[in-house]
Amino acid sequence: MSFLRVENLTRRFGGIVALHDVSFSMEKGEILGLMGANGAGKTTLFSLIAGNLPPSSGHILLEDEKIDGRGPHRVNRLGVARTFQIVRPFATMSVLDNVMVGALYGRSRTLSQPKAREKCRAILDEVGLADRADLPAAALTLAGRKRLEVARALATEPRLLLLDEVLAGLNASEANDALDLIRHLRDSRMLSIIVIEHVMKALMRLSHRILVLHDGRKIMEGAPAEVANDPRVIKAYLGETRDA
Amino acid sequence: MKTRIFSLAGIAVLLALCIAAPQMLDAYSLGVALQLLSWIALTQSWVTFSGLTGYVSLGHAVFYGLGAYVMALLWQSAPLWEILLGSGFAGALLALVIGYPALRVSGPYFVILTLGLSEFFKYIVIAVEAGLESSGRLIFGAPDPETLYYIMLLLAVVATLLTWGLARSRWGAGLRAIREDETAAETLGVPVTFLKIAAFVISAFIPGVVGAVWVLRTTYFEPMQLFSPTTSFTIVTMAIIGGSDRAPGPIFGAAFIVLLSELLWARAPHVYLVILGVLLVSFVLFVPKGISGQLAWLMRRRRA
Ligand SMILES: Nc1ncnc2c1ncn2[C@@H]1O[C@H](COP(=O)(O)OP(=O)(O)OP(=O)(O)O)[C@@H](O)[C@H]1O
Ligand SMILES: [Mg+2]
Repeated sequence: MSFLRVENLTRRFGGIVALHDVSFSMEKGEILGLMGANGAGKTTLFSLIAGNLPPSSGHILLEDEKIDGRGPHRVNRLGVARTFQIVRPFATMSVLDNVMVGALYGRSRTLSQPKAREKCRAILDEVGLADRADLPAAALTLAGRKRLEVARALATEPRLLLLDEVLAGLNASEANDALDLIRHLRDSRMLSIIVIEHVMKALMRLSHRILVLHDGRKIMEGAPAEVANDPRVIKAYLGETRDA
Repeated sequence: MKTRIFSLAGIAVLLALCIAAPQMLDAYSLGVALQLLSWIALTQSWVTFSGLTGYVSLGHAVFYGLGAYVMALLWQSAPLWEILLGSGFAGALLALVIGYPALRVSGPYFVILTLGLSEFFKYIVIAVEAGLESSGRLIFGAPDPETLYYIMLLLAVVATLLTWGLARSRWGAGLRAIREDETAAETLGVPVTFLKIAAFVISAFIPGVVGAVWVLRTTYFEPMQLFSPTTSFTIVTMAIIGGSDRAPGPIFGAAFIVLLSELLWARAPHVYLVILGVLLVSFVLFVPKGISGQLAWLMRRRRA
């Protein structure tokens, strides 16, 4: 039994097929890298898994339980948390209160506020936002907001964490710290993590396995070294210009 | 800590004054006080839903009017408190029925929809009354103003406690998250549909009771007046001027507008409306957190 199984997932937007018949599976504690050029369908895949969008066809199973078509809050309570590539902070609420929402409602459902607060302060410490806990979220820089996305997702106590370009906008040393953080999260919580990242080198170092999407189709799946040398991947990637 | 003791003492004094008011005020002033309390209760209820979720309801007059209607229909056929509760439940039930479809849209659509539904309901009541060949209902033997005053005081206090408690509760956190970003909220496990409807239903209960008390005060039920959208507009104005994210807001907002209207309404009604409009726009633009938000900010700054 796989921890997560995605079966023949397709999602259309009007005439556009953003995701076409994608299948894969992953194990508990695995870090899966998700690669692909702009518009390849990576974020769409996250939206389908997290329940923000229903699939046009296909299924998603978490420990053999069907989670597609359930709506995001139920999927979260089953243990799936995502971050948003285009960050969505609760702008006028404090950083701590942002994270509190995840702890009070998500899978953790910590009903006592003092307990939730304690837990959230520890998480903010882990992601390096402890000193900004009482600022309004709107006051954070983009890098800060990306960390806030991660902190909020963690506060729900997920089993599967979906990270959508959380390294974007970080300098080299910050990106390194972030990679260490992701590994530490996986080790400390036995999390399964899917990571979307355009920085190839970072993704290669972090992932146990990598899946490559191109124009909504899965074109390759394998160990980082295999993927890096695959002609189809090189063509798909180097054939396009990237801002990264 | 010190500010906490000060505000607790302040609240105790205020409450004592409210309780003693009927012994100290003449009939006219008691009427104004009753009005003030009813606006506090209404605005406070509105804040528990619209203030926290950001879904601006321009239809709260419908719950108030329905409560008044229930009272007008049932007066003297059951004990007073039973009808009052019934009026509240009628408001809540209507919110449940309206809420499910209405809360599927947001932003300006929700605002217009609530206004439209409330007007629609008003004309239904008018049609029903016409069908029953009743043009306005008189209420005989209503309780004396002092009794009504104490009922209204109780409603204002309960509504204030409700906002206060909800704003700092787990539900409050979920409702604010919905206001800030509904998609992010549901992705973090917040059951947004349930919470929105629950808050809408809760916020309709007290307006129903307030309407019932108010029709006992005027002793005359007239749908055009009791379902008037002006009631909804006034509630929103008070919430915006006072501040709609915390319990003191509606108290400041209601006190400010009632005072302003006492000063100006009789003497210069046109000036009053102009000033009200200017104030509303200025607050939206320059003091979005209202009087209470501004005071809280000033106090934090003085302490820092
Ligand atoms: N809500 C939507 N409505 C219409 N089209 C959409 C929607 N979301 C995504 N698309 C389209 O689906 C395709 C895949 O988009 P998606 O955001 O999943 O790509 P991505 O791999 O995350 O790209 P990027 O690297 O730029 O983040 C694109 O062509 C995009 O324009
Ligand atoms: Mg994307």
